[in-house]
Amino acid sequence: MFVELKVNGEKRSADVPPETTLLKFLREHLDLTGAKLGCDVGDCGTCTVIVDGVSVNSCIMLAAKANGSEVTTVEGLANTSDLHPLQKSFEELGALQCGFCGTGMLMSAKQLLDENPDPTDFEIKDALAGNLCRCTGYTKIIEAIKDAAKNMRAA
Amino acid sequence: MHMTPMTYEKPKSASEAVALMQECGNKAKVLGGGTDLIVDLKHKPGIVSVLVDITKIPELQGIEETSDGLRIGSAVTYTSIMKSPVCQKLIPAVCEASHTVGAVQTRSLGTIGGNLVTCVPSADSAPSLMVLESVVTVAGKDGERTIPIEEFFVGPRKTCLEPHEILVSILIPKKNLGKPSFFLKAGLRKGQALSLVNVASALSIVNGKISNPCIALGAVAPTPIRVPEGEAFLEGKEASDENLKKASEMAVATAKPITDFRASLVYRNQLVKVMTYRTLKSCVDNQ
Repeated sequence: MFVELKVNGEKRSADVPPETTLLKFLREHLDLTGAKLGCDVGDCGTCTVIVDGVSVNSCIMLAAKANGSEVTTVEGLANTSDLHPLQKSFEELGALQCGFCGTGMLMSAKQLLDENPDPTDFEIKDALAGNLCRCTGYTKIIEAIKDAAKNMRAA
Repeated sequence: MHMTPMTYEKPKSASEAVALMQECGNKAKVLGGGTDLIVDLKHKPGIVSVLVDITKIPELQGIEETSDGLRIGSAVTYTSIMKSPVCQKLIPAVCEASHTVGAVQTRSLGTIGGNLVTCVPSADSAPSLMVLESVVTVAGKDGERTIPIEEFFVGPRKTCLEPHEILVSILIPKKNLGKPSFFLKAGLRKGQALSLVNVASALSIVNGKISNPCIALGAVAPTPIRVPEGEAFLEGKEASDENLKKASEMAVATAKPITDFRASLVYRNQLVKVMTYRTLKSCVDNQ
């Protein structure tokens, strides 16, 4: 079936079988490989993208369901000259170890800060409950999100 | 994991969805948020060849106060309920229960109707809707019918829905809007965990006495259950600690939990006692 999305501000489309997940659509049909395939059942969060203002596990959402939606992936965070403040803080504070969970963490963090520019530690943990870090590097991830939030509020 | 080829239908009305389900029979499944169904389809490829996505049907949308109460469309997501000022004000236990489901990403897709239709004993939206005496509206080939929520649950993963029927909406009756109600969930973790036990209570205090107390338990029987003996005991009594504790013990007597890999029967009973007391106490303290 024909699926058209607005991905990171740009109209993109492809003709795919109806059982295609949004993750597969992004990775294999649009070559956007930032969102990762982890558990494939909606538990680990490494496939997190933002669809019409809410973060979702793209591995358990059909592309067909997202037809016509606005989708933001990690590729939409940076622009050609600058990283997103979250990406800068993650880099400066060493919030990524192996990095596999990173793109999902960044998208969940973006979703949080879009709604809540000054989150508490509890609110950050609540927002990241669906993103698992196999390296267990959560402390630095939380610190990086707080740092980015502070920088974004000051900007 | 790969899903087998299937067709995807997006009906525009409940009656169109019902007609599709009738036409396709057991080859078809209703697709809500998909947080359970898509996972099932990956584990058991081939069980379904037609998906009927009902989430864009206008009748299944919206949270609105009507003359009968608060109507929530079955395709409304947990996130929408949690963030709704009307729900926060009028049905706080349902918001709290919605917040305990899965994690942010699950709540963005998962729908309250899907949680009820999936009908697992631990369904987190069930107890809070039960203590508010909610009624569900279902569309079928002969039109719509309404069912008290307790009669909706028949057994594990089994509702009273006919195969072609669609859950349209949930109504929380007007008399229970704003009634003090609380929900608690015990899981192995805070996020991404199924309930070991979940409990909701609601009660009013009129002239110093408890009025219309309701207690519901999840994950301790084949379906979510009410606690009729405990409720009858509390009716008209003073809201003393002693009475609340007695009712909590009656909840343990009503519960029929099992031992499984998540928790033992003994532990679940202990949770029922403590959590029932805490939800009742919170209702009393927040009149």
